[in-house]
Amino acid sequence: MKMRGWRRTAAGFLLAGIALATPPPQAGRMTVLQVQWVPQAQFAGYIMAKEKGLFEAEGLDVDVRFSDENSSPITELFSGRADFITAWISQTLTLNRPVVNICQVLQKSMLMLVAKKESGIRKPEDMNGKRVAIWGGDFSIQPTAFFRKYGITPVLVPQSYNIDAFLVGACDVASAMYYNEYNKIYLSGVDQEDLVPFFYSDYGLNFPEDGIYCLRETQARDPEMCRKMRRAILKGWEYAFAHADETLDVLMDYCAGYRVRTNRAQQKWMLEAIHQAVVFGAGPDASRWGVLKKDDFQRVADELIRQGFVKTVPAYEDFYKE
Amino acid sequence: MSRRSPTVKSPIVRRLILWIGIPLLLVYSAVALTSYLQNKRASLDRMNAYLLELTGHQAAVIETRFAAISRTPAIIAETIEGMKTLNEQRLYDLMERRLAADPEIFGMAVSFEPYALDPKTASSSTRVFRSDRGLEKVDSQADKTYGTADWYLIPKLLGRPYWTEPYFAAGGGNVLACAFSHPIRLKGVFAGIVMADISLAELEKTLRAVDVFSGYTFIVGRSGTFIAHPNPDFVLRESPFSLAETLGRPDLRAIGKNMIAGKQGIVALADIHSGEKSWMVYTPIPATGWSYAAVIPEDKVLAPVRSQLYRQLVLMLAGLAVIFLGIVGTSYGITNPLRKLTAFAGTISAGNLDVRIEGIKRRDEIQRLAEVFNKMAADLNQYIKDFAAATQAKEAVESELRIARQIQESLLPRVFPAFPDRPEFDLYAKNSPAKDVAGDFYDFFFLDEDHMAVLIADVSGKGVPAALFMAVNRTLMKTVCQKGVGPAESIRAANEILSRDNDACMFTTMFLAVYNVKTGDLVYANAGHNPPFVARRDGSIRVLASMGDAFLGVDAEAAYHEGRDRLDPGELLVLYTDGVTEAVTPEGEFFGEERFVRLVIDNRNEDLASVWNRLSGDLDAFQKGRQFDDITVVLLKRALGGESWA
Repeated sequence: MKMRGWRRTAAGFLLAGIALATPPPQAGRMTVLQVQWVPQAQFAGYIMAKEKGLFEAEGLDVDVRFSDENSSPITELFSGRADFITAWISQTLTLNRPVVNICQVLQKSMLMLVAKKESGIRKPEDMNGKRVAIWGGDFSIQPTAFFRKYGITPVLVPQSYNIDAFLVGACDVASAMYYNEYNKIYLSGVDQEDLVPFFYSDYGLNFPEDGIYCLRETQARDPEMCRKMRRAILKGWEYAFAHADETLDVLMDYCAGYRVRTNRAQQKWMLEAIHQAVVFGAGPDASRWGVLKKDDFQRVADELIRQGFVKTVPAYEDFYKE
Repeated sequence: MSRRSPTVKSPIVRRLILWIGIPLLLVYSAVALTSYLQNKRASLDRMNAYLLELTGHQAAVIETRFAAISRTPAIIAETIEGMKTLNEQRLYDLMERRLAADPEIFGMAVSFEPYALDPKTASSSTRVFRSDRGLEKVDSQADKTYGTADWYLIPKLLGRPYWTEPYFAAGGGNVLACAFSHPIRLKGVFAGIVMADISLAELEKTLRAVDVFSGYTFIVGRSGTFIAHPNPDFVLRESPFSLAETLGRPDLRAIGKNMIAGKQGIVALADIHSGEKSWMVYTPIPATGWSYAAVIPEDKVLAPVRSQLYRQLVLMLAGLAVIFLGIVGTSYGITNPLRKLTAFAGTISAGNLDVRIEGIKRRDEIQRLAEVFNKMAADLNQYIKDFAAATQAKEAVESELRIARQIQESLLPRVFPAFPDRPEFDLYAKNSPAKDVAGDFYDFFFLDEDHMAVLIADVSGKGVPAALFMAVNRTLMKTVCQKGVGPAESIRAANEILSRDNDACMFTTMFLAVYNVKTGDLVYANAGHNPPFVARRDGSIRVLASMGDAFLGVDAEAAYHEGRDRLDPGELLVLYTDGVTEAVTPEGEFFGEERFVRLVIDNRNEDLASVWNRLSGDLDAFQKGRQFDDITVVLLKRALGGESWA
């Protein structure tokens, strides 16, 4: 986060103030889909659905918006400035306002821990007493469950949005998204065979990540629109995976337009990793993609209750509406 | 002289070019190539040395500068550690003083662990930064998350000073910057961080100021990210590692690993943009963990070497052109007179011997050759004149010889059957001379009603002398035989006469038989002649053995003996000269007695002219038309039922 943190926070408060002052959305405006972060391959399906007119083909006029440190999709959803957002179940189950999952895009948790082989860490128990960097908030749910499951007491240190601390050896284990930081480590000159990855999904903690959410009342008012949204999004992903080079070209243009400091190698990796997460358990047939499985829902719900984030959760049938 | 000479398969000019021009070309090329390779090696070595020096120097400059900058947070940390009373105002003052003194630092922060500065406050991060309005302070409570920022957390975890990865500072016009953090320890315990923001804008300028042969320099950070690069899109976006993936260039990853490992190195690589071969030298900057690199296209380094090579090639080609012209000129200087000589020889061979070659004035072997040609033409002219005269004389002799031959032929009985009124026997004789006049002869004549003399002879030598000697012999034999003294006495008498006045030392072999046509009885003498043979009716033969008597004309005292035989009806007596058995093929094989006897036996029942014709045909075929010796055969056959004639 470097020196930017304090300024970012200041700007965030400022933006929040502006948001609160914004009047409610007018009827007839574009449907807004806001994704969690700046343009990157994690959102390739939505970008390609927009670019290839797949929303229009469903009769939708969709604006895909991006987020940064100062703009959170959930805030935008609740403020009425966004109609659909991408979010994790672990987030949306803890909200005090009901939302509905209309499409569970990623089937596999991409969150992971990674250690350098030279640290001697080979199995979860080896992390005992070691410095393990984890992100805060929703990102800490899986690690907490993981450490409890294996009876580990690591020295937890906060992790910023990059892997510098891990690279210079300030921590022994770092948190990473498989599609992002894990490859950034590789692109910093550390070979994968010199790393020991721990995927939460391999340790019974598969919390499916990016899903498409809207307010419950939106879904109740216009279920057909939600279905159209779901179809367009899945087609967008299907297109993005089938036309990886074109998609990367579009992505790099978006990144340049949004001043995202990335490179094609990173985006290519990310697109491939997201592809794995989308087809996980469903296979290549796009008609089987995007389903929130009850097991997955329950697993996340149980862990949230156990860790005291929530006392109750909505019924699966009320939460997930295809 | 206008005749075109026929095409020459390997002209002199081509051979001179092949053996002088091409070896010269090869030697020239080898010299040029060797010198090019040496120059290339030397230039590359020079370039590498230069690059090492350049990157080493630049790295040292940057190292020194950043080491100096890094002292400021260290001094402040030490000052804070030494302060008796710590409060935010003093920290602000401290930072403002340093910022005023140190223009390269555009912002500073002194941030503390919770409650470390003041037991009542959970966090404190005092900051001062430069702006258009001068130095601005930031409230110590404005940022509550500094504890997780890399510039704070990483040095805290590492327990030592830390250069952050460069970043684009959000304020101040998106300047590339990095931060140096120094831990503060109060009473031996980590208490906070002094951080200085340092603009890296100068770094770009430093790079641009370095001129490396139209190459470029760049800097990568600790994790390989480009911090400074001529392509601004690369800065903080790409790294050797990302380019290795995007461009499919594993070599870049290997280079990147060496760079971030703090190694120094020289490596040849294909340029990532143009693909042309380039050289890259990288040197570490230990203070910050960066690596400074310079890349130079080999083409640019080698341009002077190449232009030298081109100059050499041009010179070489010019030199070779001169040499080729020289070769062509010289060879035409040789071949032109040779062509004249060739045409001249052609004229001579066409018979025009009165011409002389002119216009070759060279004082060399060619002129000598021309003189010899002229002399040869003159000599030939004289020789041919002499030869013509000799030929004329020879033709006169030959004409006379033809007449002599006709006369000689008329001497031998040539009409067969010779005795149509004598059915008791059949006789056939033939002489085929090797030269126009023959040395062989035969004869037959009746001595009385029942006795016929038959002889065959071979005079030594050939041509006119032999023919004359033969004429003498024949006349003599006719004379001595008429005396009716028998063959031995007849030969003895002839020998005595011939030997007495034989100044020419000529001699004759002879077989003489007196044949009783009624009884078939045969009395004969043999003066050194091939023994005749008799072909019996059953196909066997018997030879009339020689008594070992001498030739005629050698020894006047020589004695001669008689032999006797009897021809039964149907038996055939064959007299012949050695021209038959010694007929020879061009390969040197003799016709031989066996072949002759076989031929006679096979044809013993034919009429005698056919026997001769068959023999003559076989001999011609055997000798392939070339005859070296006279061939003479006399065939005498006693008629079947001859006894009834008695």
